[in-house]
Amino acid sequence: MSPTYIGILGIILLVAVFFTRMPVAYVMTLVGFLGFSYIISLKAGLNLMARDIYDVYSSYGLTVIPMFVLMGQLAFNAGIGRKLYDCAYAFLGNIRGGLAMATVAACCAFGTVSGSSPGTAATFAVVGLPEMKRYGYGNKLASGAVASGGGIGMLMPPSVVMIVYGILTEQSIGKLFVAGILPAIYISVLFMVAIAVYAWYSPNEGPAGEKATWRARFRSLTKLADTLVIFGIVMGGLFIGWFTPGEAGAVGAFGVLMTALAARTLTWQGFVKSCYETLRTSCMILLLVAGAVIFGHFLAVTRIPFELANWVAGLNLPHWAIICMIIFVYLVGGCFIDALALIMLTIPVFYPVVSNLGYDPIWFGVIIVLVTQMGVITPPVGINVYVVSGIDKSIPLEDIFIGCLPFLFALILGTLLLVFFPETVTWLPNKMY
Amino acid sequence: MEAFEKALDSVIKLLRLVGASALVLMMLITCADVLFRGFDHPIIWAVDTVGFMAVLALACAMPYTQTEGGHVGVDLLVLKMSPRGQAIIDAITGTVSMVLFGVVSWQMWRYARELASKGEVSMTVQIPKAPFIYAVSVCFGILCIAILAGVIRNVGKAVEE
Repeated sequence: MSPTYIGILGIILLVAVFFTRMPVAYVMTLVGFLGFSYIISLKAGLNLMARDIYDVYSSYGLTVIPMFVLMGQLAFNAGIGRKLYDCAYAFLGNIRGGLAMATVAACCAFGTVSGSSPGTAATFAVVGLPEMKRYGYGNKLASGAVASGGGIGMLMPPSVVMIVYGILTEQSIGKLFVAGILPAIYISVLFMVAIAVYAWYSPNEGPAGEKATWRARFRSLTKLADTLVIFGIVMGGLFIGWFTPGEAGAVGAFGVLMTALAARTLTWQGFVKSCYETLRTSCMILLLVAGAVIFGHFLAVTRIPFELANWVAGLNLPHWAIICMIIFVYLVGGCFIDALALIMLTIPVFYPVVSNLGYDPIWFGVIIVLVTQMGVITPPVGINVYVVSGIDKSIPLEDIFIGCLPFLFALILGTLLLVFFPETVTWLPNKMY
Repeated sequence: MEAFEKALDSVIKLLRLVGASALVLMMLITCADVLFRGFDHPIIWAVDTVGFMAVLALACAMPYTQTEGGHVGVDLLVLKMSPRGQAIIDAITGTVSMVLFGVVSWQMWRYARELASKGEVSMTVQIPKAPFIYAVSVCFGILCIAILAGVIRNVGKAVEE
């Protein structure tokens, strides 16, 4: 049997075992180990597994992940989301669908201290959702805005998905972070437009709230101060070169901790909970990375990624069509597998294809985050939807998925625009680096 | 069985505490390093120590993440089965995972012994690497026991139904 053939069998086995509900990270480790051992030797496979796992755990670059996760967890438990929401509410509350828009704006702002999309969705399911319900918002619009807006949390830097992408493809994490800023704002605006259209057609779903005075509006701006300072230090320090991404995460987490302690918004229980949650999430992510590295080593010896890249290059299709096909694969795959797991699984395969076509890897990183954002709100396994329904059990799951549809369309449209105008993504990082 | 689950639970909680402490230390040491570097006095041992703290935090978190169901999986198909069918499937995949991580634990131990005999140390301040790899090996062993507890529970469920 040729290695390529074994590789294809390995992929089929992998997908089959996924459906037994065995953790994705474990399956990748298992199949990667078996395949590598079969092609090279059992001894090599055994050596590879232990070393790959230890290398991932001890990699200095990956300490970024626990630190940024901790920062987001502390921000969540310290109630920073509430302050951001209050401010956005003061400005947008009085227009039709304005509370949903405020949620999206606050998600975008919260993204500056949180790198995870379920984390952001959870924050505003707690803060924004009860407020919208109080003003008589329909379940669909309210929960859809929270679940979809949460996705912006991982596009706005810091971003766990970008860190993982950056490490798997050896791209600069700082550059990826900078590249995410403009698309995050742009997607937020698109989401607000989607809300405006939605509220225009069904005014009962999103009635206008009270109008805040300009005095109150300006006063609410002060609530943004600490978040802006932390974001400024983290991104600024990273950009100027004061510190590495890992250090930026630690400084950010410490900054959030200090502001929360000064404002007395973080309890001891909240702090302990943040630490335990961070352990759990980081362990989940890093075992996935380890599994992906082992599986990637197996794929590399089967030569599948290279064969595929060559095959695609020989297809003579326009480049945008190939990118659209990849996006389509993610859109469909994201329905079945957790978005982050899907990325780690497919990056070793798609990345050579995309860079072979001459696309900017930083641009592709942003596109990857956008498709992940679609993955977290599409049924049946949209993690953000489950997070929202876990917090507010009174809203049926179907309603949240339906509520996400307008946002999904906005996302697809937004992604296509970025495919045809890649300069919108690459302009800022190229200007700054 | 109850005593076993209780003992396992306290071990997992202890590891969780060690992991969380390592996490907080990572944050504090890194921040101190950044600060002192600003005054031209970088902490030389910071990078090495933070690396080992990360290893410790992640290894200690594994059994906890397992028992909390923190890993992502595809449960579309399995959820459509009867509770008995689900228990059987989970028992089988659990056994496979247990064997897999048993092998990882064993290999990690061998890797640690190899580095110990070579006397491998960290780059800047020469902290021996082996003890941390032994720790990872032990944590994988405890992960196996945590998975075993789940397998026993599922077998019990499958027999009961």
